[in-house]
Amino acid sequence: MAQATQNQIRANSSQRSLVIRNLVAWAGVVPFLVFVILFLFWPASSLITGSFQNQSGAFTLQNIIDLFTPSIMNAYMLSIQISIVTAIGGGIFGFMLAYAVIQGGLPRWVRTALTTFSGVASNFAGVPLAFAFIATLGHTGFLTALFADKLGIDIYNLGFNLYNFWGLALTYMYFQFPLMVLIMAPALDGLREEWREASENLGASSYQYWRYVALPILWPSLLGSTILLFGNAFGAYATAYALTRTLNVVTVLIGDQISGNVLFNPNLGYALAFGMIVIMAVSIGLYTWLQRRTARWLQ
Amino acid sequence: MAFLELTNIRKQFGQAVAVEDFNLKVDRGEFVSFLGPSGCGKTTTLRMIAGFEIPTVGRVAVDNVDITDKAPNQRNVGMVFQSYALFPNMTVAQNIGFGLRIRRESESAIKERVDEMLALIHLEQKGPSYPSQLSGGQQQRVALARALAIRPQVLLLDEPLSALDAKIRVSLRAEIRAIQRKLGITAIYVTHDQEEALSISDRIVVMSQGHMEQVGTPFEIYNFPQTAFVASFVGTLNTTTAEVVDSARGVLQIDGARLETAEKLDGRQKGDKVTIAIRPERFSFASEQKKANVVDCRIENITFLGSIVRIQVSIGSGKYYMDTFNNPFLELPKIGDKDQVTCSREAVLVLKS
Repeated sequence: MAQATQNQIRANSSQRSLVIRNLVAWAGVVPFLVFVILFLFWPASSLITGSFQNQSGAFTLQNIIDLFTPSIMNAYMLSIQISIVTAIGGGIFGFMLAYAVIQGGLPRWVRTALTTFSGVASNFAGVPLAFAFIATLGHTGFLTALFADKLGIDIYNLGFNLYNFWGLALTYMYFQFPLMVLIMAPALDGLREEWREASENLGASSYQYWRYVALPILWPSLLGSTILLFGNAFGAYATAYALTRTLNVVTVLIGDQISGNVLFNPNLGYALAFGMIVIMAVSIGLYTWLQRRTARWLQ
Repeated sequence: MAFLELTNIRKQFGQAVAVEDFNLKVDRGEFVSFLGPSGCGKTTTLRMIAGFEIPTVGRVAVDNVDITDKAPNQRNVGMVFQSYALFPNMTVAQNIGFGLRIRRESESAIKERVDEMLALIHLEQKGPSYPSQLSGGQQQRVALARALAIRPQVLLLDEPLSALDAKIRVSLRAEIRAIQRKLGITAIYVTHDQEEALSISDRIVVMSQGHMEQVGTPFEIYNFPQTAFVASFVGTLNTTTAEVVDSARGVLQIDGARLETAEKLDGRQKGDKVTIAIRPERFSFASEQKKANVVDCRIENITFLGSIVRIQVSIGSGKYYMDTFNNPFLELPKIGDKDQVTCSREAVLVLKS
C-alpha cells in the first residue's frame, strides 16, 4: 500500500515536471509567435481583406478584376520574367562558383573570401545597389567612361543599356548569385567523395556521376534555392524603383497605388500584393510537387 | 602465375612516404587481408589497386595485364567502402544495378543480375527500399552486392565492417567470406582488427609505417610472428629481452631464469641480447614431470575473461601474462602465491631485430 502511494507520488511529480518543461519550452517560442502574428498574419490578413474592399470599406471584386487589365498583367509578366531570368542565371552562376571553390580544389582562403563576399552582397540591394550600378555602368558611369576613353568602346552604342530589362536583370544578379553561393555551399559540402569514387569504381564517367548521382542528390537544394531566388527577385522593390521608372514591375505598381499621389488606390495595391502571394504560393506548390516526384528518397 | 600482382610499389604524398617497397602476389580466388594500425598504408595500397591513387613507383597487374595507369572506371575492380557509399537517391535495386546500367546492359539482364545479387545477400524483399530505410549491416550487404554485380576481377573491401556493432561484424564477416568462397573471387580486405583478419583470410599482410612487416597465413602470423611489431600487433604477447647463454643449444636467460628455444640462434654470441616473445596461452603451470623451461614465479593478478582466465605472473622483475581455459572445477591460485610456470621450447620465439 505504502509502495503504491509512493509510486503515485513519484508519477505525479514526474508529470508536474514534464508540464513545467513544456511550459518553459513554449515560453521560449512566444516572442516568435507574437512577432509572426503581428507582422505576418495580421498584415497578410488585412491585405487580403483589403483586396476585396473598396476605398469606403465595402465588399467588392473590382480590385481583383482590375488585376487582369493589360497594364497590370504586363507588370506581373515583367516581374515573373525578371525573376525567372535572374533566378536561373544567378542560380547557374552561383552554383558554378560554389562548385569551383568547394569541390574544385581551390585554396581554402578563396572559399572564405567568397562566402564573406556573398554574405555581404546577398544583402546589398535597393537604392545603394542601383546607385552603385548607375555610378559604374550608367551613361556616365565609371566603367562606361573607362571603356570609352581607354578602349574607344561606347557600350551603349553596342546595345548595352542599364535601364532596360537586361540592365535590371544584371543589377539583380548582383544579389542573386551570392545568395545561391550561400545556399549551395553546404549542399555541395554534403556531396561525399565516396559517391564519386563508388560511381567511378562501377565504371561511370564524370558526366554519368553528375547525371545519375550528384545532380539528383543536389536537386532538392537546387530547386529550393531557385525558388528562393525567384521570390527574392519577385519581391524586390527599391532596386527597380531607383534604377528605372520605365520598367513597371509589380512591386513598383504597388508602391504607386499605396503611396503615389496620382494613382493612389491602396485597395488595388492590396489586390496586387495578394496576386503576388498567389503566384508565390503556386511556385512553392509546384516546387513541393516536383520535389516529391523527383526526390522520393528524401521522404 | 599470380592473378593480382603488386610490384615494387611506392607511394609518396609530397615528402611523406605512405607505402614503400610493397611486393605482393595474390592467387586467383585468394582472400588476402591488409592488417595494420591507422596510417600504415593499407588503405593507400588498396586505393592504388582501385585506381584512386597512382603509385609513385611500381606496377599493378591483374591477370597479367598492367592496370597501373588505367582510370578507376576502366578497371574491372569492385570496391566496398567503409561508409557503404550507397547512392541515397537510388533504391537498393538501382544501386546494385548501377554498374550494369553504366555498361548499357539490357533491362532484363540487369533485373536478372540484381535479383541474383539480392538473393545472394538475403535481401530479396528490399529491392524497392532506399538505403536510408536499411540498417547498417543491410546497407553494407547491398554495397557488397553492388560491387559484385559487375562481375569484377578483384573485390576490394576497405574496412567494411568498422562502422557496425560487434555482433553484426562477426556475422557479416562470415557472410562475406562465404560469398567470396562461393563466387571464387579474388579479394583484398583492409582492416585494423586482427581478429577479423585472422578469422577471414587465406593470407594476411601485416603492415606498419608503409612497409610490409610479414606476409603469411593467419596460423603463421599468429604463431610465428617474425618481427616485434607483428608480435605486438597480433594477439596478446609477452615480449622481453633475453641474453644468449648458449647459441648452439638455444639457451637464453631472462631475469635470472633459464629458458630454451627451438629456434636457431645462428650468428649470436654468448652475451648477445635478443628479443623473445611467448604467447600467454603457451604458458602453463609446471607439473612435476616437466624439466625444461620451468621458472619460478609469483601470481600478481587474475582477470576473468569468460572462456579464459588471464593470470599475470612476475618472473624476476618482469611481468608476463598467462592464459588458461576457464574450468569451474579447477581451483585457481591466489594473488601473492608462489608457483612455477613452464612453456615448450617451440613457444619461445626469437624475433628479428
